[in-house]
Amino acid sequence: MRRVSENQSVRMLVSNAQENKRRLNDLSNQLTSGVRVNKPSDSVDAGSIARYQTLIAKVDSYGTTISQAKSFLEFQDSIISQSTEIITRAKEIAQQAANETLSSQSRAQLAEEVYQLRDQFANLANSNYQGRYVYGGSDDDDPPYDAAEYDEPASGPAKVRYVFDAEAGTADNKSVRVTDGISVTLNTPADQVFGTGLEALERLSRTLAGFKTTPDVSGTPDGTGAAYTFPDEYHAQTEDIRDAINLLNTARDIDLIPERVSLGGRLRRLETGQALLELSKNSAKEVLSRLQDADETEAAANLQQAQTALQASYAVTAKVLRMTILDYV
Amino acid sequence: MVQFTSKLLTSAVSSMTAQQALLANSSNNIANVNTPGYTRREIDIRNRSEPVSVDSVLRVGSGVQIGDIRRITNEFLETSLRSAGAKQGKAEVKNEYLSRIENIFALSGSQSSIGGALNNFFSSVNQVSLDPSNLDLRLDVLQRGEELVTTIKSAYEEIANAQAELDQRVSQEVDSINSLTRELANLNNAVGLREAAGVAAIDERDQRDVVLGKLSAKIGVKTLELPSGMVNVYLDNGFPLVSEGTSRQLTVTTSPSFAPGQMPPSLGGGILSYVTYNFGTEAAPTHLDLTKVIKNGEGSLGGVLQLRGYAEVTNTSAFQADGELVQMAARIESLTRNLLTAVNTEYLGADENPATTQHEASSGDLNGNPPPVFGLFDFDYSGVKDVDGDGLPSLSDLTASGVDSFSRFLTLGFSSAAQFAAGRDSNTTSGALTIAPGDGSNAQAIAGLRTQVQSFAVGNFSFLGTFDELYNSSVSTIGNLKSSAQIEYDVAKQSYSMTSVKRDEFSSVSLDEEFANVIKFQKAFQASARMIKTASDILETIVGLI
Repeated sequence: MRRVSENQSVRMLVSNAQENKRRLNDLSNQLTSGVRVNKPSDSVDAGSIARYQTLIAKVDSYGTTISQAKSFLEFQDSIISQSTEIITRAKEIAQQAANETLSSQSRAQLAEEVYQLRDQFANLANSNYQGRYVYGGSDDDDPPYDAAEYDEPASGPAKVRYVFDAEAGTADNKSVRVTDGISVTLNTPADQVFGTGLEALERLSRTLAGFKTTPDVSGTPDGTGAAYTFPDEYHAQTEDIRDAINLLNTARDIDLIPERVSLGGRLRRLETGQALLELSKNSAKEVLSRLQDADETEAAANLQQAQTALQASYAVTAKVLRMTILDYV
Repeated sequence: MVQFTSKLLTSAVSSMTAQQALLANSSNNIANVNTPGYTRREIDIRNRSEPVSVDSVLRVGSGVQIGDIRRITNEFLETSLRSAGAKQGKAEVKNEYLSRIENIFALSGSQSSIGGALNNFFSSVNQVSLDPSNLDLRLDVLQRGEELVTTIKSAYEEIANAQAELDQRVSQEVDSINSLTRELANLNNAVGLREAAGVAAIDERDQRDVVLGKLSAKIGVKTLELPSGMVNVYLDNGFPLVSEGTSRQLTVTTSPSFAPGQMPPSLGGGILSYVTYNFGTEAAPTHLDLTKVIKNGEGSLGGVLQLRGYAEVTNTSAFQADGELVQMAARIESLTRNLLTAVNTEYLGADENPATTQHEASSGDLNGNPPPVFGLFDFDYSGVKDVDGDGLPSLSDLTASGVDSFSRFLTLGFSSAAQFAAGRDSNTTSGALTIAPGDGSNAQAIAGLRTQVQSFAVGNFSFLGTFDELYNSSVSTIGNLKSSAQIEYDVAKQSYSMTSVKRDEFSSVSLDEEFANVIKFQKAFQASARMIKTASDILETIVGLI
């Protein structure tokens, strides 16, 4: 026959009640925190949970980088669009001026507007984004185009010219990592985007103002060209205007439009990257939630069960311990 | 005829005495119902036989005789209870400390983890390449770098502190083991003395079982009961802790006589102690190392030593020791060493001047200054850091510096936002560095390290993977260590409690049983008293006849 001693029954009752209480405690913890796995030992999937957590944190920070890179590229897109408009307007003026019904005086009047367009164009090339020169390459604390002066004329807008300031870093492409292993180029050096355009505007304005430009046809005007002598050189001026029109076309077709296409491509890549990151973040979150979060319904049901069990063990303990043979003798 | 009447009286009297003795024993059992380690007792009673004499043919017997008092105990149950207690003692220590270490790698909560800090650091470095001369972005690198350094340092120190604490616990445990073995030797003497005189030493045996239970919860031992009633206690390798009336006192030392010289450092830079027995004198000790035997055995001291780790006296680094704490610390240390070597090397960029043997950094900060050898991550140390002087941080430099655990001394190599070397010299011609302020190529290269597979190694630990993979695998490892310690503890607790229940079932006092006995004994006492009355009536009748 099995004996049951006092110590034995107390020990059994207490350890059962404690076990039930511990379970209740665990379940209420799960329900209040909403998380089932708080510590690595709570689940065999701890390693995967850490991996998904890192993945989500990484995606979040790449997300910040991408949205900043995007607004930077969008800013450039508006610059290029404005620059293209300037070139188009300059072309209209040039075509009007190329008409030989216009006198050289009328041409000189048109020069005024072209000078303004040139200044605007140079300003766009020297655009500033959050305190940095967008087209300065790595040398972004220094404007890519500096103002210089021609020998002739002595004063006025025709005296001013813009020269490209080639320094260490101006030819650099800046890039940023937008996902693991993928970097996106952030900028194009100024001379590759604005070089031809500025040169064309410079030539056009100077020609219209009545000054020859050397070297001929293309290249940055060096400012040594003398004034045209009218009417002998009226026709030569017309030819120079036509050359400038060709140069404006080149600026638009070879520099600005491809730059805009490239910007659009990079922006699309960023958007696709962002969407992909979002997608992988969402699926990671889903898996993480499945691995780590408490299932409220299940936990609540289990809590109810544990509560009943604990109540039962309290009731039994109270009943059993109260019973003694002394009550019957 | 009177012969039988007197027998009636004798039997009745002997029974009354015996029933009172039985009642007294029951009363004592009831009194000790809650006494720990008390085993219930029974008194043997037997029929008192009549002496054989020639004239009497009918031997009815002459009452009841009180025999020995017995402890109701089962040596097998006592032994298994002790071994269950030893297992529980070991599992409890391991579970307790591993759950502390586990918090370093917590998966939720506000505490920043190494994994999170690594992510924040690499992200902030990547952000710099958006606008390398932006001081706010650079400041973020500085802060995230500080965060990473602090997180690594505090995680490592948490483990190192746990090791130091466990090491202190070794001497505390050994102190109580020494006093327990002393007590056992004294009890052995008492038991031997009593039982040699033919008296059952029940109280002393009870007490000795309690002491043995306490001892085996602390240290894995084997026991052997001698014919004299004394108990010898041995370690698992046969080393006697208690033999008969003498005990051997263990010594805890950090300068054991068997060490060849320089002691290996612990994680926190101290020296791990050894549990020994000194055969020599205090002044000229001859230590016998018992640490390994105790470590491999059960008991809380076994658990403490196993977690803390055992360092061979010939070791030169804290990471050559075994044990779970060292294993986790080595993972953190390997991360630190990689930050100091691989990350710093990348930070210096290509050799600016390949013509010279010394590597010259091609990266530079906002002011165009190249970073020092330990430019991004550094360590507090006053001696020469680049020991071979090649201008590159390498593992051999670290080893030669004499520092053992770099995680404790890790610092950030730069102190201001402008000092972060984000750019690289575009040309590889030697001479002055020309670094454009907007150049973020060095930051890009550092950010790229995140996805690069690296080799992490320190002590007996080695791992091939990315920074994130190292951290994630550490989370898995501590999770597995902790949950198996938890399972071990749960099983040990369960088995201890089941064995206790078994022991209680056999040896512990049952009030119901005692009360039933009390009633039984009382009834017998009353019946015997009744017999005296009967005898008296008979005698009266006889006297009346006269």
